[in-house]
Amino acid sequence: MPAPGTVSPRAGGPLPTLVVAAVLVVVVFGGYAVGGALSRSPGPSVDIAGVARLQPLSGWEEAGRFAEPTGVRLTRGGGNLDIVVVPFDGTATDLLAWYVRTVLEPEAERLSVSPRAEDVRVASGLEGARIAYVGLFGKAQVPIEGEVTAVVSPAGTGVVFDGWGAEGVLRYVLEDVRAMTETAEVA
Amino acid sequence: MADLPPPPPGSASARHRWANRGSLFRLRNPSFLLFAAILLVTGFLAVEQQQVFRDISPPGWALSWALLALYALPVFLLVYVLDLYEREPLSLMLGAFLWGSVAATTLAAYANEGWGLVVARLGGPEFASRWTAALTAPMVEEILKVAGIVLLALIAPDEFDDVLDGFVYGALCGLGFAVIEDVFYFIAVFGGTPAGVLAGFWVRVVSSGLYGHVLYTGLAGMGVAYFVSRRAEEPFRRRLVIALGLFAAGVAGHFLWNSPFLDVFPAQVSGPGDLLRVPFAAAVKGLPLLVFVVVLVKLARRRERRWLAAALRSEVGSPGLTATELEILLDPGAKRRSLRDMRRRAGGRAARLLKRLQREQVNLAMVLARASGDDDPALERQRAYCKSLRDALAAVPGAVTATPGTGAAR
Repeated sequence: MPAPGTVSPRAGGPLPTLVVAAVLVVVVFGGYAVGGALSRSPGPSVDIAGVARLQPLSGWEEAGRFAEPTGVRLTRGGGNLDIVVVPFDGTATDLLAWYVRTVLEPEAERLSVSPRAEDVRVASGLEGARIAYVGLFGKAQVPIEGEVTAVVSPAGTGVVFDGWGAEGVLRYVLEDVRAMTETAEVA
Repeated sequence: MADLPPPPPGSASARHRWANRGSLFRLRNPSFLLFAAILLVTGFLAVEQQQVFRDISPPGWALSWALLALYALPVFLLVYVLDLYEREPLSLMLGAFLWGSVAATTLAAYANEGWGLVVARLGGPEFASRWTAALTAPMVEEILKVAGIVLLALIAPDEFDDVLDGFVYGALCGLGFAVIEDVFYFIAVFGGTPAGVLAGFWVRVVSSGLYGHVLYTGLAGMGVAYFVSRRAEEPFRRRLVIALGLFAAGVAGHFLWNSPFLDVFPAQVSGPGDLLRVPFAAAVKGLPLLVFVVVLVKLARRRERRWLAAALRSEVGSPGLTATELEILLDPGAKRRSLRDMRRRAGGRAARLLKRLQREQVNLAMVLARASGDDDPALERQRAYCKSLRDALAAVPGAVTATPGTGAAR
């Protein structure tokens, strides 16, 4: 048996180092590139009361519409995005408070909302505000968690984007929810 | 003179100068530059992350590190002493640990997120919630960790003499990864309170600490070392297949751990019964891989012992080595006993001298492997050095016994 070290190992020049660097780049950034390619917007856009228009990403489909307040629900498996439009005179933070008080709290057995709103901007250039919540709703067996983004247009229309899903599931649709919210057009 | 053992051949600091002792710091090596650059950049991000954890829960964060030190230090030492005959350079061992703890964890945080998006988009959110951890982390994290071991092999190929060397570097890289991942879990998943950290320590370290990243990356490291060290013995294709096979075994173990398969962990830990179920559940998932790795490590150690025996057989009878000394050298139990006996008989200084003699006799094998012939000056110096150590030991009162071969007998 030849003894270790009797053959001098070769360093191999810079090529192996470049190969390692390339592998690292593909592993670290490749998922984002592939994920981006998979999230094309294949279907027609969804219009909500002529006030907001949103382009569903691949895999998302319209699950229903509701009247009071006017809105539409998009769904993808266990992930959902409710878009609601209301006439509103106030700030985005006020609109969030209204949504929590009027829509979430009446349906919730228990509800916990993040104490501070985060500032965001949607594609129409409007400033918005965002909160997160977790709670028990209706007959659902598991806690529901969600992320709500609200914007108010200069014309006095409020638009609320409520992305929600079962606890542990939401995080797998949150990128989609944010992408659709932040590229939505609000008149 | 018994009080002052003779210096090693050459210079006092050149214990291994003949054996091309490697160091991480090869400043002109492109792999070192890449290794250092990635460590530097990810180091800033890793420190920021720890600051966030510290701000969330200062006592929980401090307790996390204290508990993990209790786990990491013994494992580090255990891995360090696994390689019986040639301890690896500290700079490379620390490099492997740092790569796992700083570079691999930081890069994995980004990479797992990206590939998680792919799983969610292909499989939908419910599928993703069950399978993302199994489908992304094993491949992503094992590639990121083994990349560090490959870079170390490119920086210091002469330090990958056998598969056991690869296990040492891989296991240390995995240990570094596990420590940082555990801090993350203690703070972000178990709540960060002292009680939460203790619960996390029970679940992730006491119950599961034997089965995780240390094994996965140890296997991958063995593959890298096999590929590098068997160049003269095995064709490229076979080396590649075995290296990829060992890497795949690590990925498979990681996949099984993260997947819903064989999952008997309690859904919630709400009492002593659940707490006791956790080690059992961890063993169900992790024990097979642990057994597999232990067998591989034993085989690797046996191979090293065979190599040492073959290398030193021709030296028996030379000034550097007696037949009994070789016998003791090849039997770790006998080696420990000889040191213990020497300490009891002639004191700690004599035992240290005997330990040094045994270490230099192992180095004699290394010198022999690189010698150009029987009269190679380095070889003759090493033989003379071993003899001088033996003479120094013999001069210690009580060191020489009637039984030859316990270290000081001539």
